[in-house]
Amino acid sequence: MTKFILLQKLPALIVLSLRLCVSAVILVTVGTAQVAQSLGSLEVSGRVKIDGKQEKLTRKRFYLIRGGLADHKQLIERLANAAIEPRDCFYSRMNASPEFICWLKTEDCQSPYCRDITEEDIARVPEFRAAFDKGTKQFRGRRAIAADWLTTNLPENLASGFYLQRRHITETLLGDVKPLQSSMTDTVTVKAIFIDIPLTTGTAAEKFLVTNILPIEFGGKSYLWACEVEIGAAKPASLRLLVPDGNKPVKNCEVWVRDLPVCSTGPCNNK
Amino acid sequence: MRIGIRLFAVCSCALFFAASFLFESIAQRRSAEFSHRTREHKRIDCATCHKVPTANWIAARGYPDVADYPGHASCVSCHRSDFFRGNRPAICATCHVSSGPRAAERFPFPVSSRSREFSTVFPHNVHQDLIASKVNKRDVAVAHFVPASFKMSAVDDKPQFNNCAICHQTTAEMPKFANRIPAGTLNALGDTVGDNFTPLAAFFKNEPSSHASCFNCHYQNVEPTRTDCASCHRLTSPFFETNTTERYSLKFNHQDKDHVNKDCTTCHVRITQNADLRSMRDADVPILTCSTSSCHGGEIKAEIAKREESIAAKQPAFQCTYCHAPAVGRFQIPPSHQAR
Repeated sequence: MTKFILLQKLPALIVLSLRLCVSAVILVTVGTAQVAQSLGSLEVSGRVKIDGKQEKLTRKRFYLIRGGLADHKQLIERLANAAIEPRDCFYSRMNASPEFICWLKTEDCQSPYCRDITEEDIARVPEFRAAFDKGTKQFRGRRAIAADWLTTNLPENLASGFYLQRRHITETLLGDVKPLQSSMTDTVTVKAIFIDIPLTTGTAAEKFLVTNILPIEFGGKSYLWACEVEIGAAKPASLRLLVPDGNKPVKNCEVWVRDLPVCSTGPCNNK
Repeated sequence: MRIGIRLFAVCSCALFFAASFLFESIAQRRSAEFSHRTREHKRIDCATCHKVPTANWIAARGYPDVADYPGHASCVSCHRSDFFRGNRPAICATCHVSSGPRAAERFPFPVSSRSREFSTVFPHNVHQDLIASKVNKRDVAVAHFVPASFKMSAVDDKPQFNNCAICHQTTAEMPKFANRIPAGTLNALGDTVGDNFTPLAAFFKNEPSSHASCFNCHYQNVEPTRTDCASCHRLTSPFFETNTTERYSLKFNHQDKDHVNKDCTTCHVRITQNADLRSMRDADVPILTCSTSSCHGGEIKAEIAKREESIAAKQPAFQCTYCHAPAVGRFQIPPSHQAR
C-alpha cells in the first residue's frame, strides 16, 4: 500500500526536487555574484589644452555609461547631429536685455542663480530692476527680502528656462541610455570623480563611455566629448580630455568642436 | 415599583454616560498631537489648510513663511462636533496652550517638542547644475536667513566654493556631535581606549532647518513653489529630530588650512550626483579622496599596517586614531579602506 502511494506521488516528488535544485542553484549563483562584485573608480581631468593653453573646465558635468563607443553608435550619432542652442542665443530668443546677457557673460553664468545680484546689478539690468520693484511691493516694502529673493520675481524663462531646456535636451539625447553615474569637475583639482562603479563579474577591465552630453561653451566655441575608457578593479582609471590637433583624431574619443553662433545684442561694457 | 423606576433611571444615566465615551471621536480622544498620517488627512491637499505666508510672518519669521497654525475653518468642516464637546474640548489642545472657548494663546508653531512627520527631499544634483557658482550673500537681511540651531560666525571667510556655503556654514557655536558607529558586518575589536580628543566648532558645518534657504528661490515661479509642499516634504514615520551631527571621522577639521582651500566637491564627490539625500546610505566622502592624495595616504597606510601587525602578533588590535575617535577606530577595517 505504502509502495503504491509512493509510486503515485513520484512525479510530484520529482518536480519538487527539481524545483529545490533550481532554487539552490539560483541562490548559490546570486551569492557568488554578490561576493564577486567588484568596484572600479575613474578620474576625469577637466584640464584641457585649448589653442595651446591649458584651460580649466570647472563645474562641468560628465556622464558615465556602461559600454564602449561601438556599443553606443546611436547615442554617438545623436550627439554628432545635435544642434544645441547656446546660452546667448537662448536668452536673446527670450528677449532678455543686452544688460542681462552681459551680466551672465561677466562670470560665465548660465542662469541668474549663478552669483549674487548686487545693488549695482539691480540698477543696471532692467529685468533685475523690475523684479526688485515687484518684490518690494509684494513683500510689504521690505527691500532686503525683495533683493535677496529677487529671482522669485524674474520671468520664469529667464530664471530657470535655460536649465530646463538643457535638462530636456539631455534626456532626449540620452534616449534609452541610462548613465550609471554623473559627476562634476570641481574648481580646485578640476576632476570629475566616479567611485563605486559596479563592474561586470569575471572581467578584469570593462569599457565605459564618458561624455558631457551638453557641449561645454568656452571662448567662442563649444566642446563635446564621448570617450571610451577601460575601468578595472585593480586601480583607479583616469581620463584626460583632449582637443583634436588639426585633423588628427583623438584616440578612443569622438570630439566635436564647433564655433558658437553670435547671438548677443551688443558688446558688454560692464564689469 | 418605585425601586424599579429608580433602578431604571440610574441604569439609563450610566448607559448614557458610557455611550458618551463610545461615540467620542478620534480627535476628542487624542491627547494633543495632530497627525498628518490619518487616512482622512492624507486625502487633503496641504494648501487646503496651510496658507503661505501666514498673516503673522513679519513678526514670527521676518520673511514670508508658514509661521502659524491653520485657522479654525480648516478643522471645523470635519470636526465641528469636537469643538462643542464639553467645557474643555480636547481638540483645542492641538494648537492652544489651554482648552476652552476663551483660551487664545497658542503654542509656538511648530511645536518643537512634538514628533516630526515629514522628511525633506533635496536634490543636490539639480542645485549643483543650476546654481553651481553662487556665493554666499551676507550683506542683506542676514539675520533673517541664519539657519536655525547654530549661530553664524565670521569663521567662514573666503574662499567660498560654489553654492554649498549658502546652506552649509561653519558656526561659532559647538553643535551636538557623536561618533557615527559603523553598522552592519563590521565588529568592534576591543573596548574604546581613552582619548582626550575633543573636536572644535570649526570642524563642523551646519545645515538649513527653515524655509528661508528654499523660499529665496522657490517662493514663486520656480517649481516646486511654496504651495507645493509635497515636492519637498514626504510623510514618514514620526521621529524626533536630534540635531546631532554624527561623524565617522570626528577628527576631520573643515577649517584646517589644507582643507579650507579645497572645493567642497573635491571630497564630497557623490554630492553632485545625488538626487535625494535619503538615498545616501553612507558617508559621501569616500576614503579615496583622502588616501590617494599625497596628503594623508602615508598615515592611513601606516595605521592599517599597524592594525594588521597587532592582529598577526595576537596583541590587542591597534586602534586607528589618525582620522577616528576610538569609538570608531576600534572597529574592523572596512573593505573600502582595504581597496583604497
